[in-house]
Amino acid sequence: MKYSNGFSLFLFFVLTIFTSLPTDASEYLKEIVRANDLYSEKRYAQSAQAYESLINKGVRNGYLYYNLANTYIRMGKTGPAVLNYIHARKWIPRDENLEANLKFAIQQTQDKIEPPAPGTLSTLFFWSNDFNLNELIYLAIGLNFVFWVSLALWLYFPSLKIIRNALFCFLLLSFFSIGVKLKNESDFKLGVVLVKSVEVKSGRAEDAVTLFQLHEGALVTVTDKYENWLEVRLNDEQKGWVPKNSMGT
Amino acid sequence: MFSGKIKKIVCLFLFLALNPVSQSFGQDISVTATVDKNRLTLEDVLQLSIIIQGTQNTPPPELSSLPDFRVVSAGTSSSTQYINTQRSVSITYNYRLTPMNTGTFVIGPARVRANGKTYSTQPITIAVQKPSNRETAGNRTAFVVTTLSSNKAYVGEQLVYTFRVFHRIDAKNLNLSLPFDKTRFHKEELGEPKSYNKIINGLQYHVQELSLALFPLKKGQYEIPSSIIELDLIHSTQNRSSRDPFSQFFGRRTRAEHKVLRSQPLSIEVLPLPDGAPEGFENIIGQFNISAELGKNDLEVGDTTTLTLTVSGKGNVRDISFEEPALKGYFKIYPDKPEFHQTIRNNEIMGEKVFKFALVPLEAGSRTLPKFSLPFFDPGKAQYRVAQTPPIPLNIKPSATKEKLNLVQSRQQDAQAPEIEILGRDIFPIYTELDKFQNARSHSSAFLGISFGSPVILFILSAFIIKQQKRMKYDVAFYRRRNAYKNANQRLKKMSALEHSGLSAPKEFGRELSEILREYIGNKLNLQGKAITAEEVEIRLKEADYESAEVTRKLLERCETLQFAPTTRGSTKELLGESENLIKLLEKQS
Repeated sequence: MKYSNGFSLFLFFVLTIFTSLPTDASEYLKEIVRANDLYSEKRYAQSAQAYESLINKGVRNGYLYYNLANTYIRMGKTGPAVLNYIHARKWIPRDENLEANLKFAIQQTQDKIEPPAPGTLSTLFFWSNDFNLNELIYLAIGLNFVFWVSLALWLYFPSLKIIRNALFCFLLLSFFSIGVKLKNESDFKLGVVLVKSVEVKSGRAEDAVTLFQLHEGALVTVTDKYENWLEVRLNDEQKGWVPKNSMGT
Repeated sequence: MFSGKIKKIVCLFLFLALNPVSQSFGQDISVTATVDKNRLTLEDVLQLSIIIQGTQNTPPPELSSLPDFRVVSAGTSSSTQYINTQRSVSITYNYRLTPMNTGTFVIGPARVRANGKTYSTQPITIAVQKPSNRETAGNRTAFVVTTLSSNKAYVGEQLVYTFRVFHRIDAKNLNLSLPFDKTRFHKEELGEPKSYNKIINGLQYHVQELSLALFPLKKGQYEIPSSIIELDLIHSTQNRSSRDPFSQFFGRRTRAEHKVLRSQPLSIEVLPLPDGAPEGFENIIGQFNISAELGKNDLEVGDTTTLTLTVSGKGNVRDISFEEPALKGYFKIYPDKPEFHQTIRNNEIMGEKVFKFALVPLEAGSRTLPKFSLPFFDPGKAQYRVAQTPPIPLNIKPSATKEKLNLVQSRQQDAQAPEIEILGRDIFPIYTELDKFQNARSHSSAFLGISFGSPVILFILSAFIIKQQKRMKYDVAFYRRRNAYKNANQRLKKMSALEHSGLSAPKEFGRELSEILREYIGNKLNLQGKAITAEEVEIRLKEADYESAEVTRKLLERCETLQFAPTTRGSTKELLGESENLIKLLEKQS
């Protein structure tokens, strides 16, 4: 009796943590259907508004960002389109349609700036680019479980040493992959120009020297921020400050 | 002795670790600006340092607008000092200011934000003069010269701008700045910089030369501003007669002098293109040749030949383009992507652009390919010219290939994938499958902790159990110790039952109880319990730090007394209770 009570409490605790009941799931799915219908009816402004309202409510989904980006493409707004494709890529990095549409959107921009090439770490841990952070975490959780089981089995069956070592290497790799993903997301923060054109200044002042000009949809790396200014970088040589309200990140 | 030392080290460490926080808050903050000199020439560089004392956690200072200087950050340095347990911290932001004009300038206050307050430095007045004329171009250590191939050019004409830096001693860290107005000139590099020696007035100079092609974009009178090069001149300070092998081994003693060298501005007059441009003129300026070549002049209907059109010359070859020849209806035309090659000859950009068209005749007959014309402006002759290809005759025969043969050749045709003409581009459609739209959740630390931690806890538990099981198998002492209480308790329960039934004799009772106790202690201490005496039990229990050693001896002695001098039944019950309590006590103490 005592044990069964304890087990019930444990189950309740685990279920509370591991399952989230999407109470308003059906509501937001209805809203997605409505936004998709508006898109099909070519009422792009209302469709974009519906998708945006879902995002503002905290819904995070790669396909939602993708659909929103498509809507902006139809509206001729390349800046928000590129920005939302970039957001979508964070969640659905292997989607081929997304890659094709992002290329299309970039071709529509004046500056035609491609997303920056992955860094050395990303090249070494190349598979981390093809998985989103949640997928990498689930992979690590699975490997972690299998590794500890193999470790327990190894206590009984010492011949499992090779499997244990191999699993340990995989587990370490999965942890490194998560680290690389998190580092990339913090270091290579991409920004997209949302206004028609913006002057990139040498300093955080309107009267600072204009170094170069960027146009709507231009992709840059955001390296710093200070009050209402963002430091953006195109390459090793071209960087400067732009007003925060001209960029989407 | 050692523990005292360790305590001192720990205290010192804690003092050093915790003190900075309290001190940095307590220390007054002051901000000052210093320069290494306040009179300089256009060839010098000013070092500006903003020193913030009292804190190291500040954003970079905000410098006032300095339009007459080129400002470059030269890094930061921080310092921490302890004087009589007082700690002082400071951080210095260094800047290199290169003067752009002569005159007297004020470096306005730099602002620093720290601890919610804004601090300003005092303004500094700087006088910038022209470089001294004591050194003439003939005897200067280093100087720069810029030249332009012509001071008069047409819009779009290629000009060569050459920058040369002459230096008599070693120069390092060269940083060149060529300030061209991008709205007035299009710039292209003419290969890698050259390096050579030249003797001027008997003095040998090392020359580094960089050439650029400039294409004026607008008409008018312009001035190309000074090109600026920053460099460190390496002066040797070692006495030449010194033959110290160590100094030779460790290298010469040198002193670096940072210099900013400016060229003279150059003026240029950009002329507009004259009127009377021929038809089809598309701002192609230079000197060009054009040629056309056909793969074969005799061919059959359905056969393929390649028309190659080559344009070469000096000027903006890259911008030249040709429409498809006007042969629609007679030929199927497949234009290829033009190939462009650029070469640099005699400091001028030369180019060659090759256009290829695959032609497939649709009808038999004699045809003439039309001539291709390239109207361009020749700045050398100051007139418009038209380069043309001659018309090319072409004899097209009816197709000799019969239907039967075509069928045989169909495999060969399949091998060549047909070229698909792209008619338009569009995005892929939106996703509508609702199962794709699950909200992606970010994981809580509790979720991650349990997910990653629970297998570890399960492993530790299972490892503990496995270890215990293994030890029970192989470690006799451990096995006896673990089962001592269980065995003793079982036997005591049996005795208790016998005692209640009144079947046990006091003598047997005393012997059995003594045996249970001694066996329990024997199991606990891995001894032959039955063979040890009460005194030995006390000694062994004391050795094993049992507090109840004496009580145990006394109880064993009472059991022995009961064996040899049996008393009433009440005392056996009391003895049994005491034995049970003692075993529980010993179990707790073990």
